[in-house]
Amino acid sequence: MNNFAVLAKKEFVQMVREFKVIWLPLVFIFLGITQPVVSYYLPSILEALGGGQGITIDPSMAAQKGGEVLASTLGSQFDQLGVMIIIVSMMGVVQSDKANGMLAFILTRPVTVGSYISGKIISNYLFVACSVALGYLVSYLYVVFLFTSVDFGDLIVALLFYLLWILFIVSFTTMISTIFNSQGIIALISIVFLLGCRIIVGLSPVIDNVNPASMSKHAMEVLILGTVNSQALWGVLAALAWTAVTILITNIWISKKKFNNE
Amino acid sequence: MKLEIKNVTKKFKEKTAVNNFSMELQSGECVGLIGPNGAGKSTLIKVIADIIDPSTGEVLLDGKKISKMKKEIGYLPQYPNFFQWMTAKETLTFMGQLSGIKREELLNGIPEILSKVGLSGEENSKVRTFSGGMKQRLGIAQALLHKPALIVMDEPVSALDPIGRREVLNIIKEIKKDTTILLSTHILSDAEEICERFVIIKSGKKIEDTTMSELLNRNSGNKINVDITSKSQKWIENVKSLNFVKGVEVMGNKLKIEVEDIESNKNMLLANALEHNVDLVRFEIDNDTLEEIFLKLVVEK
Repeated sequence: MNNFAVLAKKEFVQMVREFKVIWLPLVFIFLGITQPVVSYYLPSILEALGGGQGITIDPSMAAQKGGEVLASTLGSQFDQLGVMIIIVSMMGVVQSDKANGMLAFILTRPVTVGSYISGKIISNYLFVACSVALGYLVSYLYVVFLFTSVDFGDLIVALLFYLLWILFIVSFTTMISTIFNSQGIIALISIVFLLGCRIIVGLSPVIDNVNPASMSKHAMEVLILGTVNSQALWGVLAALAWTAVTILITNIWISKKKFNNE
Repeated sequence: MKLEIKNVTKKFKEKTAVNNFSMELQSGECVGLIGPNGAGKSTLIKVIADIIDPSTGEVLLDGKKISKMKKEIGYLPQYPNFFQWMTAKETLTFMGQLSGIKREELLNGIPEILSKVGLSGEENSKVRTFSGGMKQRLGIAQALLHKPALIVMDEPVSALDPIGRREVLNIIKEIKKDTTILLSTHILSDAEEICERFVIIKSGKKIEDTTMSELLNRNSGNKINVDITSKSQKWIENVKSLNFVKGVEVMGNKLKIEVEDIESNKNMLLANALEHNVDLVRFEIDNDTLEEIFLKLVVEK
């Protein structure tokens, strides 16, 4: 436990030194603002730029409910650019330690692989989750200001669902970062796989029940409909199970010293 | 403390890097692991430091598996990198805490160890700004910090310039007084300077395990090198006729004289030279240098 604390603290200090602690929350705040602001002003923008000839602007477009706009912040901003940015910010999480030999070096000390991985995942997850929550909160404020207000209970439940999806993103990227050695490959595989997971959500209820990305869909449903989907429990269990699997694979990979393939 | 390496073999796909290697290391020894590039030194060091697992065989420290004895080992990698954004003090605190040293102990221990490796005053500089020699010294500090029973160093001086090399060698000489050291190198004069015992490794196999003096004695022939000036060339014929001289090689003004028994014959030869008023420039017993012995062992076998 003590080693875990030392390693987690090191991660936090590194985030501060590399200014990640500033730019990642800023990115999510920016993404959070974009959706409500663009939705609100889109009719006026189209009117101003579109020449106005022969274009009818549906007034209902501007009359979206707050929950819908907040849901599309998650679905259109966070799930696309947001996920990519999380991946890019985390692709070196284990890979850089492998590349400069620090992983092997750290493991020559009496440090268990478990405390190394948990130090990485928990610290990074806490930080990414806070950034996402901050962006989400700012988005909420804009939504309330520009559209209608959102039920606070729904807001929190949706966030919790969404953060579970983020947990899987973090653990999956960590696993890929452990297995592969090139940052480009790590980013490519993670982005293709995770966005792929997100895209197939909604195709089939069966797949959704085992797809961690369905957490994002459940979060959006809570915001739009105000009710939790009855299938959500399966999704939660699936997301937790997949997270556990990625952590297990990471653990096995490091324990077997496969990172040292000379 | 006793380190036992038992029949360690390490295979990488088709290549065998270490082949059935065994040796023992007792407390207080300083052993140099020497071999040409690609001989398997680094692989063996990594197996001992528990960075890679051997394909077969095991490494025991005091009879226990090395993976359970990490606190007793200090390891210095070939290119200690550390985290570039940490200061020297932070690096030592980080590695020290991972080794299980308490905060209070570190508070006193770090300045002490930094002054030992000559990095006092640099505790708050970033590792990024360090030269190769400074990084190596920080690496040594890190390896010493938790007072291990055994220090394993992979090519501690090979990548350094002459000044950095000298600094690091002096530190190693200092620390070997109270720790057991195993180091690998391909630079013989370094090994010669700090270690008493050598293990020569070639193609993953141990081909020699001996001490410096033994190695030199075994390889010295009964030969004497004599340099003379050209005006004394006539003496050469005289030497050839001496009854204890078995052969003379002449290379210009340099003579290599083989005698029957070096102990008694060397003074007789010198007396003979003085008697004939030979203009001597150099007179010495022909010893193979460590380098020559090394080349013989590594290239021929």
